[in-house]
Amino acid sequence: MLFSLRELVQWLGFAQFEIFIHISSLLIFTILLAMKVDKLLDLGWWNVFIPFFAADGLSTYFTAIVTVRLFQDGEKRQAVLRLFWILTILSLKFVFEMLLCQKLVEQTKGLWFGLIMSPVFILLQLLMIRACRVN
Amino acid sequence: MSLAQRVLLTWLFSLLFLIMLVLKLDEKAPWNWFIIFIPIWIFDTILIVMLIVKMAGRCKSGYDPRNGAQNMKKKSWYLTAMLLKLAFCLVLCAVLEQFTTMLLSLVFIPLWILLIGGLIELGYNVFYVRRD
Repeated sequence: MLFSLRELVQWLGFAQFEIFIHISSLLIFTILLAMKVDKLLDLGWWNVFIPFFAADGLSTYFTAIVTVRLFQDGEKRQAVLRLFWILTILSLKFVFEMLLCQKLVEQTKGLWFGLIMSPVFILLQLLMIRACRVN
Repeated sequence: MSLAQRVLLTWLFSLLFLIMLVLKLDEKAPWNWFIIFIPIWIFDTILIVMLIVKMAGRCKSGYDPRNGAQNMKKKSWYLTAMLLKLAFCLVLCAVLEQFTTMLLSLVFIPLWILLIGGLIELGYNVFYVRRD
């Protein structure tokens, strides 16, 4: 649409298959969310967030495999850079999901949304820096 | 539009939307949900206008339609996807503002169609094109 798939892969640093996994997890999450809010299913918030956690786990596993393959091919620099970038993105995403889930479960006033969203703001800055490098 | 401009546009509108969303959720700004979504409305309008201009360019006289039949199909899907996203955001805002009481499953239907369409297109690229 605005970006071609190749540009998106270049910018985000994720493989097409990983993007596929994350979009699938979003789809399953929204289905579970709708079922929970509409009271069609009696699910806890942690269960609703399972697709996201599973996608993060799968993506980490996939990244580990790609890193090992790149190391075997002798492209050590590229392997390390890719590993660091993907792990940073995934950990920021994971922290955001954890905080959001915690907020939804406990409804604590101390955990304000600015704090919950802070990993997303850091992520946006990192993506902007990467966009400058890719260009 | 160059890649840098497109990235900057996406980044700017995402940042603005997130800031406004945080202000609203933390009850620092007593604004209407439709106002919170202003960056999304502007961004979507820009994208839809860009798509329509591109599609209209293919309807000009002297353009050979044989070259772009596939491309036109893709553009039509993108336009549909944008309209689905717009519909989802509009209905979500209406529900959040309590203009209407609706099951969340119904609100999510345009988003689900959009995500399934996106997954089919992506899956085709990942599993089918690569095998070729």
